[in-house]
Amino acid sequence: MARNGITIRTERLNKSFDTVRAVRNLDLEVMSGSRFGFLGPNGAGKTTTVRILSGLLKQTSGYAEVCGIDVSKDRDDIKAITGLLPETPGLYSKLSAVEFLEFIGALNGRNGDGLHRRIDSLLGILGLEGRQDDLLESYSSGMKQKVLVASTLLHEPKVVFLDEPTSRLDPSASAIVKDLILILAEETDTTFFICTHMTNFAEDVCDVIGILNEGEVITRGAPQDIIEAAGARNLEEAYLNIVGGKVDREVLLAWR
Amino acid sequence: MTRKWYHIAKAEFFVLTAGMRKHRKAMAGLMFALAAIWAIYLAPLIINTFIQLIIPMETIRTLLMVMFPGLMRTVMLFLWALLLLFPLSFSLQEIKIGQWEIFLSNNVKTRDILTGTFVGKIPMYGLIVMVFAPLLISPFMLAFEVSLLGQAVVYTVIALMVLSTIWLSNFITAMVQARLGDSARGNDIAKALSVVIALIVIVPMYGLMFFMPQLSDILGMNAFLVMPFTWPADLVSWAAITFNGIGLTGSQILGFGAILQLDMLTSALLMAAFGLAFVPIAITAADRVFTISAGVRTETVTTVGRENIFIRGVRRVAKGPFGALTVVSLKDYGRKAQNLSKIFYGVVLAIILPILMQQMSIMDGDVFEVETLLPMITIMIGVVGVFPFAGTGFLESKDQLWIIRSAPKGASRFMRARIATGFMMAVPLSLAPTLAMTFMFGLTPLTAIQIFITSFVVVCGAVMVAMGVTAQNPNYEDTKSSAHQTVLMTSMMLTQFTLIGPLFATIFLDIGLGFNLFGFMESIFGISGFYVVEMLLGPTALLLVGGLMLYLGTRSLGKVEV
Repeated sequence: MARNGITIRTERLNKSFDTVRAVRNLDLEVMSGSRFGFLGPNGAGKTTTVRILSGLLKQTSGYAEVCGIDVSKDRDDIKAITGLLPETPGLYSKLSAVEFLEFIGALNGRNGDGLHRRIDSLLGILGLEGRQDDLLESYSSGMKQKVLVASTLLHEPKVVFLDEPTSRLDPSASAIVKDLILILAEETDTTFFICTHMTNFAEDVCDVIGILNEGEVITRGAPQDIIEAAGARNLEEAYLNIVGGKVDREVLLAWR
Repeated sequence: MTRKWYHIAKAEFFVLTAGMRKHRKAMAGLMFALAAIWAIYLAPLIINTFIQLIIPMETIRTLLMVMFPGLMRTVMLFLWALLLLFPLSFSLQEIKIGQWEIFLSNNVKTRDILTGTFVGKIPMYGLIVMVFAPLLISPFMLAFEVSLLGQAVVYTVIALMVLSTIWLSNFITAMVQARLGDSARGNDIAKALSVVIALIVIVPMYGLMFFMPQLSDILGMNAFLVMPFTWPADLVSWAAITFNGIGLTGSQILGFGAILQLDMLTSALLMAAFGLAFVPIAITAADRVFTISAGVRTETVTTVGRENIFIRGVRRVAKGPFGALTVVSLKDYGRKAQNLSKIFYGVVLAIILPILMQQMSIMDGDVFEVETLLPMITIMIGVVGVFPFAGTGFLESKDQLWIIRSAPKGASRFMRARIATGFMMAVPLSLAPTLAMTFMFGLTPLTAIQIFITSFVVVCGAVMVAMGVTAQNPNYEDTKSSAHQTVLMTSMMLTQFTLIGPLFATIFLDIGLGFNLFGFMESIFGISGFYVVEMLLGPTALLLVGGLMLYLGTRSLGKVEV
């Protein structure tokens, strides 16, 4: 269980892949029921951090716990209370949405009427009720993402890791996911750990933001505090000021 | 002006030789040099030595000469099927229509695409032919003592046949790929077709291995004069006869002419006409072939219906999450055309095997008794159990593995369901050869039940081995990957050696330690009991090895990544 209201805690967490240091001395504290936005450029170490925290990847050094459970020891306990939305969809092309969600439910030890009611309810919220019996191979990438979102929330996890949850969604679907996160966090005290590039989405949904660059958290705080500290008008501008990434016109046109 | 076809050919060659990309030029040069030495010097030398060891050439020469025209057609049928269908099967394993979009958006002419993909394939398949052709052709070259000029003519004919067949194969491949399109459904059908096509290649191979004289007789018939592989075969025959060094008499040559029917010039003209006709046909049709459109195939939406009686039955028997997982696993496996075609392939193989064994016994002059061949049949049925489950029908992508791992004990739950699916699929795989043998050989019900139980146990053991090995090295449905080849080979070898293992162990015990295990067992169980125990030894060992592989596979699948 969360101790002192802290759901996720890491201390000097490190992860290296051969010579590449994906995560460096990461110190994090995420409060219960909060919506933590993990921002950073491609390859900054966001997905690696999420995989360590959800018990799928072993850290090189350091300590991490979720709901008071050491991620390097009780991995099955961690998995039972967390839900993970992976960055890329790993759906079964020859199953329908209902069948895939039944598969995920059964993997988590659930079945029967209770599971099917939950599946119907989630597919209804995400606007997939008309297509729920079609094979997933015929779904658009946005629809597949919705199915994955449903699969993540299916077993009512206490902590939800969302890796780029809205990257393939249209604006209205993004709004649904946004509302889903806000309502679940408020009503069920679910903690959301959201990796994203979408600064607008993070600004709207997250109450705390951590900006990761080259494996280290370089800024942490409420969105408004980060914007003000960076002297920016919005989170996107603040992000660009902190991480960099403005295009140099001269370099861009130099090849001509 | 850049030669666009050349760059496409280069890319195609790079893809085919990706395995040796670090030293591509040196390796390719070395391989062709070795192949040339093999074709010109080593293969004829080895074949000659081999023939002399068994029967002197003087004795076998007459036999080879009598069989020559029919055998040459058999050899050409094999090469033709290999060249036509193997590239087709290979390319269907992965539809690459997406590349056409890049070509066409860069204003590449369709004839350049066709020429480029054709030229790119020549080195690899040329090399294969350089290795195989001398093995098949040399005995006849030696029997007729064909002069160097004659051999040059023979290999030129073969080279032209190879080029025209690759061109035709390339054209058909493009047409099939365009028809199936770059959709999940199309890819699935393509993979299924690739397995069925492989079966078509295997049938002439079996023919070549076991029924050479019968096949030669059949192919020697006039009806085969219309087949494209007959013309180059007859041309090779004529070249060998014309440039012979054994002094064939006029009447002997007339005798060959009567068998071959068409003379040298007619065969040459027909072969050239067939090869050349497809050049303009393919180039004219290229614009129609290389089209990208969102046709019906990409718009097809499959909606699942009500669960059938079998699925409902499984649900009723296996309640709880395990039952639900097994049902979903069955649906996922059964809906992929590729998996079904592999089951079909396995069933066909399982039916062919006893027929082959019966034929071999008859050819050897033995009385065919199915009971005495049971241990051998069970060993072969092991292959049937491995093939549909090794490397395929398991995980589509690494992302799926992440999803499975993110559930508590997800990997072991997943494996249990997959194994249950495999065991259910083992029923038709073992029932098919049992029924085939029962009807063909008029077996008693008791023998049939005995064969079915043994086959079922062997297939289940093979399924466990295949799934366990796959779980240790998943290849994510990429049948072209080295992981897939490794998984398939490891599963096959492990199954075969485990089934044969007890037999070898007994022989080693007898020779090494002087302990006659079979004699010992016979003294304990009696003669009939001994047969039962002997037959159960291999399958029992396979179940144990399968169990071990499953344990290791489940552990590996569920392990935390480091």
